[in-house]
Amino acid sequence: MKKTLPIIALAGALAAHTAAAQDKLTISVYSFAQDAYKELLYEPFQELCGCELVIETGNSIERMAKIEANAADPVIDLAVISSHDALSLARKGLLSPLDTSRISSFDKLYPAAQDPLGDNMGVGYTFYATSIVYRSDLVDIKSWGDLLGPDLAGNVSLPNIVGTQGPLALMMLDKSMGGSGDFSNVISKIGENADNIVTFYSRSSELAQLMNQEEVIAAPLGRFAWSRFKSSPLPFAWAEPEEGQAGGMNVMIMTKGNGNEELAYQLMDYWLSTEVQTRIAEARIDSPSNSEVVVSAEIADDLTYGADLINSLNIISPADIIDNRDAWVEQWNTEVIK
Amino acid sequence: MFLSTKEGLALALPAAIFSFLLFLVPVGILLSEAFKSDVGWTISGYTEFFSKPLNRTVFFRTLKLGVLVAGTSAIIGYAAAFCIVNLPPKSRGRIFGLVILPLMISPVARTYAWIVILGRTGIVNDTIVGLGLSDTPIRLLFTETAVFLGLLQLFMPLMIISLVSAMENIPRDVIPAARVLGASWFQVFFRVILPLTKEGLVIGGTLVFTGALTAYITPAILGGSKVLMLETLLYQKVNVSNDFVSASVIAMILIVMSFSANLLLKRIATARV
Repeated sequence: MKKTLPIIALAGALAAHTAAAQDKLTISVYSFAQDAYKELLYEPFQELCGCELVIETGNSIERMAKIEANAADPVIDLAVISSHDALSLARKGLLSPLDTSRISSFDKLYPAAQDPLGDNMGVGYTFYATSIVYRSDLVDIKSWGDLLGPDLAGNVSLPNIVGTQGPLALMMLDKSMGGSGDFSNVISKIGENADNIVTFYSRSSELAQLMNQEEVIAAPLGRFAWSRFKSSPLPFAWAEPEEGQAGGMNVMIMTKGNGNEELAYQLMDYWLSTEVQTRIAEARIDSPSNSEVVVSAEIADDLTYGADLINSLNIISPADIIDNRDAWVEQWNTEVIK
Repeated sequence: MFLSTKEGLALALPAAIFSFLLFLVPVGILLSEAFKSDVGWTISGYTEFFSKPLNRTVFFRTLKLGVLVAGTSAIIGYAAAFCIVNLPPKSRGRIFGLVILPLMISPVARTYAWIVILGRTGIVNDTIVGLGLSDTPIRLLFTETAVFLGLLQLFMPLMIISLVSAMENIPRDVIPAARVLGASWFQVFFRVILPLTKEGLVIGGTLVFTGALTAYITPAILGGSKVLMLETLLYQKVNVSNDFVSASVIAMILIVMSFSANLLLKRIATARV
């Protein structure tokens, strides 16, 4: 009996450990708004599934490196990431195609969010518009081309090309110059005007500081950061340039062979549901990709919201970014940063 | 109390093991990445790095700013240190405390202070416009001048501390003796003070130069992406491009520059003046 008891206890502990291991889902997310996500998404989901969510945060490069380094035995089950970073992982064979029949809200998603990477490698969960934030008391923005015009010389900042906003700004500046689709001309033009550009910012928080200190009076910005400017005592405005606004999307992806697909699909289904997407939109965290989400006009003003706006966005294909980014960065380093 | 060789080794062993396992091995592995390729060992990482004009610009800018910051610190530091060691003991402690005070404040806070000072609405531009030297505020932030000022403020106390320490060891009657024998102040400095404080200059120069080369926060905040230095470029290679080979090459270049500076300064110090 003395020998039997520890064996039973050990077997019980092992069984409990196995059950716990099966009920754990590890997700990789942006560090942004984690307290709100915890309240609006993670905790309700954990109650619903009776499982444990392990949240891993970091910048895109760190998170992608972790997925790549553990490809043989994935430590991340599900990740949310920009569409072009997701495509980069898909091309390395690190992602599993999604079975969209297991996502009940799939048909409610805007068409652009349903298969943004091709081969069902990911599904869009949020959109963001990119336009120009500017000081309405000092300048009036009518075109993306105004950023490189004489009126704003010495008072404008552009996003760094290696960030998410960089290629979007290049696309719209190219459009203002006639829209060749080849960014080499616009990079050269930025190079010619490099002395008139205060700095090339990397984070929206950095830009907010520069604009609040009146170092910069106009710059391209993702709508997700607009609330930082809207609440400022300075009169900032969101431009609606004649070339339109650029747009981007973040997607959910599933790592290949993670063995935790069932729970990952449950979380995807929950996250994309009208109920959860509405809750997250009302908290002004992410703009919804579910077309059935309805929010008030006041909240919509802070988001990239509604079919008309989303369908009007100029979206650069993830493949174009991946295929051309090295050449853009090379030219940028030669002609702009020098 | 004298220790036998065995006892000495036994006492040094824990620290040696700690340094070897937790510093030298990981750094060695990291740096060896710069010499690896698919076909074996190579220096192609270095040739490729220096073949790019941007990298060469960043390398020479880092070297230039390091030398300028160390040189300016030495010039200002000698004057400050000479003044401090000749003050009455009570005042000397107070002034020395003020020199050390910035070292107790976070480099982030100190660097952000420069944003306020050098900004378009900062005190420098207010003065320039107020005196009628310019109609509009001039661009000071995100320039090499801003990075130079930030680094100088950050590291000059290290030079002053080293020089004060060296000057305190100069025999008190040496300078008056030189003056009595007819030496000018210029000769006193170059023939008496400088030779007797060269060890302090080597230590201070190495600390300031190495600090300026490897500082990240100040160039990142005051220079941004327009005034890249090797350290900010290294960060970009790791965190933006995921290019660990180039990052290892930059790390190795920084280490070589630091050691070279130390060796060069020691060589100058041991040369006959």
